[in-house]
Amino acid sequence: MAKRITIDPITRLEGHGKIEIFLNNKGNVEKAFLQVPELRGFEKFSEGRMAEEMPRITPKICGVCPTTHHMASGKALDDLFHVTPPSPAKKIRELINSAFMAEDHTLHFFFLGGPDFVVGPQAPAGERNILGVIQKVGLDAGKKVIDIRKRLRNIITKQGGRVIHPVCNLPGGVSKGVTKEDREEYIQTGKDAVEFSKFALKAFEDIVLKNKEYVDVIVGDIYKHSTYYMGLVDENNKVNFYDGDIRVVDPEGMEFAKFKSREYLNHIAEHVEPWSYIKFPFLKGVGWKGFVDGKDSGVYRVAPLARLNASDGMATPLAQVEYEKMYDILGGKPAHRLVELLYAAERLLELAQDEEILDPNVRNIPTAVPDEGIGVVEAPRGTLYHHYKTDGNGVLTDVNLIVATVNNAASICMSIEKAAKGLIKEGKVSEGLLNMVEMAFRAYDPCLACATHSLPGHMPLEVSIRDHEANIIETIRRQ
Amino acid sequence: MKTLILGVGNPILTDDSVGICVANEIEKFSLPNVEVIETSLAGISLLDYVVEYERLIIIDSIKTEKEIPGTLYKLKLEDIGTSSATSYSHGMNIRTAIELGRKLGYKIPEIIEIYAIEIEDNTTFGEECTPAVKRKIPGIVDEITKIIKSDSAPS
Repeated sequence: MAKRITIDPITRLEGHGKIEIFLNNKGNVEKAFLQVPELRGFEKFSEGRMAEEMPRITPKICGVCPTTHHMASGKALDDLFHVTPPSPAKKIRELINSAFMAEDHTLHFFFLGGPDFVVGPQAPAGERNILGVIQKVGLDAGKKVIDIRKRLRNIITKQGGRVIHPVCNLPGGVSKGVTKEDREEYIQTGKDAVEFSKFALKAFEDIVLKNKEYVDVIVGDIYKHSTYYMGLVDENNKVNFYDGDIRVVDPEGMEFAKFKSREYLNHIAEHVEPWSYIKFPFLKGVGWKGFVDGKDSGVYRVAPLARLNASDGMATPLAQVEYEKMYDILGGKPAHRLVELLYAAERLLELAQDEEILDPNVRNIPTAVPDEGIGVVEAPRGTLYHHYKTDGNGVLTDVNLIVATVNNAASICMSIEKAAKGLIKEGKVSEGLLNMVEMAFRAYDPCLACATHSLPGHMPLEVSIRDHEANIIETIRRQ
Repeated sequence: MKTLILGVGNPILTDDSVGICVANEIEKFSLPNVEVIETSLAGISLLDYVVEYERLIIIDSIKTEKEIPGTLYKLKLEDIGTSSATSYSHGMNIRTAIELGRKLGYKIPEIIEIYAIEIEDNTTFGEECTPAVKRKIPGIVDEITKIIKSDSAPS
């Protein structure tokens, strides 16, 4: 019987993700996958409610991306009620969304990816956290991070109408316009966010790109996968976070499909595995061939790397320059979040400076009978789908969401497996297993049952190495 | 003493909301010098709220599965480990956020108390706590309110 290794955060009190690695009789990795606890009953919870409640309910699903859920939900309602928001309303939504993307990417780089690359992949676990990052980049830089994050959040709070969970999106537009006074503040925040993004890119260049060891890890084979990529693009095939068509490119970068939100079910199907309640979306046009790489496998990826690969570049000038630079040096990896951070900041500034943003015409009142609506936006971690069906009174009868992490579910399993294969040979588990598997996992920044907040609020890991009778013979634990 | 009560949780995940429910009940007493905020965010976002207060009381849910639902624990910040290499960006916990705030020179409350309530279910969508937890809420509200009042009373 195969040996089993479990990386299990069993000490996390409410229990989050669990990584399982199975070894074959020779002690080599046979299969690895990620399991997450199920959040039950969202469909049941939603059905029977008025569809207009969804932009207020769905942000509560996720403590990380409430703004993105609010945007996808708002767009789904536009579609459901057959109403197009006036241009100023679209711009206000995109402004809020840009502020959110910039905030989230800032957090990700400094607090999540930062510990790996700023502090160093080989640094002791105790130092690989934000405090270690601050130690390395300095207190002033730390204050910059906190300051810009707070000001970006302030835009979301002011325009979104509420701290944390925005409530501004209505079918056909938004609930309030932008005042002249607030606009001045947003312009200043936009300018400072652009400067901050340049600072983050410079820090990345100095600390990471100039360090051969880090670059080797980044471009090395251990994390490399060849899959399809998906992301929203504008009419010029440039990255767009709020609107546009969904574009899919093949592993060589050639366009495979480009479709409207409404057509998503023609292109995406979901594969079911007996060991997981997560469904694994795949491209219908290619088919499900298992957890494998390559052009013949329908596995696709979303998130920053995928967005950049699925597009022909960035729609703002400074981000485009950085995009080209990054591709030259790294072949696209992994500072894509910083390129996107710069894009989000530039886009925020563009929208704040646009005179139309002050136009009080921010809503078209819906008059059609509601039936079915689909809203798609880019969340920081990838493409997010909201799909609602209602009766003629707007009462929900069917709700389907595909969140970013679910799109990536198959490739997360593949990445973990690949990292584990490199580090477990004939039953011998290399020292760095936990770090490297964690890094593979963390690159996706998966949202796992992310809506729960119970203490202690972090995710310890435990690796249990089991013999053929599933008895634990060795345990590696990290709190 | 300028006090902030932070009710932490997700309002649509059954017992995950218990911290918010308890905090909202305490708010009804309009205790002097006490402000109540409910939040669904954790980690770094907490810094936005807590600066400039002298005392911070966090009310949250916990799932140890060792005690019956509704059991109230009083914890110190030190009882919660710091986040080391977290596996996702919102993995930063309260303690790390507070330490970061202190390191960056923000005025962080001197006194930090954490009340954690043992829960039964935080994975099912629902706007109400499970009966076992719900029953205990009035008693928990009383207990925490008494502690706040007695600690605030002039000696």
